[in-house]
Amino acid sequence: MRIEKCYFCSGPVYPGHGAMFVRNDCKTFRFCRSKCIKNFKKKRNPRKTRWTKAFRKSAGKELTVDNSLEFEKRRNTPVKYNRELWQKTVEAMKRVEEIKQKRQARFILNRLKKGKQLEKEEAINEVKKNIHLIKAPHAGKSKQLEDKMVQQLQEDVDMGDENN
Amino acid sequence: MALYNFKKIMVVPTAKDFIDITLSKTQRKTPTVVHKHYQIHRIRHFYMRKVKFTQQNYHDRLTQILTDFPKLDDIHPFYADLMNVLYDKDHYKLALGQINIAKNLIDNVAKDYVRLMKYGDSLYRCKQLKRAALGRMCTILKRQKSSLEYLEQVRQHLSRLPSIDPNTRTLLLCGYPNVGKSSFINKVTRADVDVQPYAFTTKSLFVGHMDYRYLRWQVVDTPGILDHPLEERNTIEMQAITALAHLRSAILYVMDVSEQCGHTLQQQLELFNNIRPLFANKPLIIVANKCDVKKISELSEEDQKVFAQLSAEGISVIETSTLTEEGVTQVKNEACDRLLAARVETKMKGKKVHDVLNRLHLAMPTKRDQKERPPFIPDGALTRRRAMEVDTPKRKLEKDLEMELGDDYILDLQKYWDLMNEDEKQDKIPEVWEGHNIADYIDPDIMKKLHELEREEDLKERAGEYDSDEESEDEEMQEIRSLAKQIRGKKQQLVAQSREKDITGPRMPRTAKKVERKELEKQMGDLGLEMDNKDDSHYAQQARRSRSVTRKRKREASAPPTSKVRSQSASRPPRDQSGMRDTKMVKKAKKMMKKSQRDMNRQGKKGEADRHVFDLKPKHLLAGKRTSGTNDRR
Repeated sequence: MRIEKCYFCSGPVYPGHGAMFVRNDCKTFRFCRSKCIKNFKKKRNPRKTRWTKAFRKSAGKELTVDNSLEFEKRRNTPVKYNRELWQKTVEAMKRVEEIKQKRQARFILNRLKKGKQLEKEEAINEVKKNIHLIKAPHAGKSKQLEDKMVQQLQEDVDMGDENN
Repeated sequence: MALYNFKKIMVVPTAKDFIDITLSKTQRKTPTVVHKHYQIHRIRHFYMRKVKFTQQNYHDRLTQILTDFPKLDDIHPFYADLMNVLYDKDHYKLALGQINIAKNLIDNVAKDYVRLMKYGDSLYRCKQLKRAALGRMCTILKRQKSSLEYLEQVRQHLSRLPSIDPNTRTLLLCGYPNVGKSSFINKVTRADVDVQPYAFTTKSLFVGHMDYRYLRWQVVDTPGILDHPLEERNTIEMQAITALAHLRSAILYVMDVSEQCGHTLQQQLELFNNIRPLFANKPLIIVANKCDVKKISELSEEDQKVFAQLSAEGISVIETSTLTEEGVTQVKNEACDRLLAARVETKMKGKKVHDVLNRLHLAMPTKRDQKERPPFIPDGALTRRRAMEVDTPKRKLEKDLEMELGDDYILDLQKYWDLMNEDEKQDKIPEVWEGHNIADYIDPDIMKKLHELEREEDLKERAGEYDSDEESEDEEMQEIRSLAKQIRGKKQQLVAQSREKDITGPRMPRTAKKVERKELEKQMGDLGLEMDNKDDSHYAQQARRSRSVTRKRKREASAPPTSKVRSQSASRPPRDQSGMRDTKMVKKAKKMMKKSQRDMNRQGKKGEADRHVFDLKPKHLLAGKRTSGTNDRR
């Protein structure tokens, strides 16, 4: 029993699900659901269909080259069963999965950092250009002027006192 | 070749069926409608056609029967003799002869009546002639009823004959009834012949096939033969005799030493001597069966002498027991070897072999030194070859185990697995974990790789790759963000307001709508300006002075204006100055006005709405050769 990969969306095909298409040149295609089958029949290229993993990997939206991804590889020569090896493998799998998830998350986070930078700049720009929609340019100016005048008068009075 | 046809003979129908088939075919396949008033030649043609069609049908079918059934002279003498024994050659030939005669008679009848019909002068007469013709043909056939029945039975039996190839390598088993011939064939081949304690269990020839030295061998089991002269033999025994006589094969004469078959050793030996002439030129082996009950060494002196005599003559005597299977393989091997040798000898004596001999040349390399270089045969091949020659005790099969345990038997193929640790054979092997196939991760170096990965991960963590870089933004940035949010909200609000406007009716300019003082003060207050105590501001004063609301004023003497025109113009600023704060603004407004008018004036347009095109197809743009360029200018 194996969990296969869908040819179109690269999702898991569990046993009892999906369909397989065999072409005249003996190449088999497995699909996870009719959505993928229909897209395949329409001759759509999975590398150009945005929601598939193939697109995401080829467009650099997800982690592609990494050591943690090298562990899961389809091997063509079967290995004889050995309890110890199997147990070790299962534990290793768990650890590798953890690390893989961390790295994939970090990759996406880094990718989206630029967006945050742009957001910040846009906010600054917005405020610079359209501040007049919420605050008139000389909103607090009259008060300022008053205060200034009061200050000036005070200073004059002080100066006068000093002279005297 | 001859075998092939026996199964392909067409079914011979009974006389009644034959007639029915042909007549209904005539009715269906020929035209059915004819009237009195047709022209006479048409009527004649119609009935002649029917007669000829029926004759044709009968002729075809009978010819087919005649050709399908094998001619006894044309087939292998073994089959010819067998058929004679089973079906009586004379009867067979007679039946076929009768069919042939019937065919000719039918042809003649049809010819006569067709000739007569040429002189039929009415529909009635032609019809009667046709009836007579068909009736006669059918009667002829009715008379053949017994022949056809006989032929059908012959056909059925013929198709069920065992397919014995008379020319290939064959082993023939013969002897008294109940000596163990059928058990022998059951042991040696995959045949499943009936073995019962009564005599004449096998009533006809049976064939089994086996392999030896990479060749296919036929083993033919015969019914038992009793000791009486040829003329007194019945059909069953005759089949055995026929096989003995015609098949060029190795003969295995089976004897029962323990006399369990009901006949003494002397009787068996006498029978052997009687049919000895049939064994000429054929490799012969005497099989002393049932040796588990009695061995030759346990016999009396005289009997042992007889056997010794036989061996002295060059006929090998081998003891076997089909029950314990000892000696069976030995018999088989020896018979096959001797037959092969005999066949090769005859072929060598023939003419055809010379062509082949020229091509058979085994080249041996010349010895270059004294070193012996024997051929290398791997051990497995040697053991296998040895096993072929000797009966090895078969290893215990799963089938035997199942028989033993009965209901308790559980099929457990995992016990045959070849693992490094024996006690892991019954383990349930995990295949999938959390959507991943474990088989994809299996690697003898997986722990090493995992260590490296963990080290890498450590390094990365220490280098700070996984730190969250959420620099807390300073207050200024936060303030900017909140302001930006407010700005966006306000923009959306404006858009929503604009969408909710009521756009029915003519589009009036903004100045046509009166702005409420309260509204203005509220908006400006929202923008942060101080709007209290604005009673003596310009706009408030103007609002009081405005004439839009006609109020009944008390007529009282007012101060006379200095100049009527001046007073009016003084109360209302000129349009190019209303709404302007200062001269700078006035200048800018004027500039904007002039700028927007400039383009229109240059193109000689009357105003904004003048979209008239004087020249829809200017000649300078559309005429002339074009190499490259646009249509805007040329």
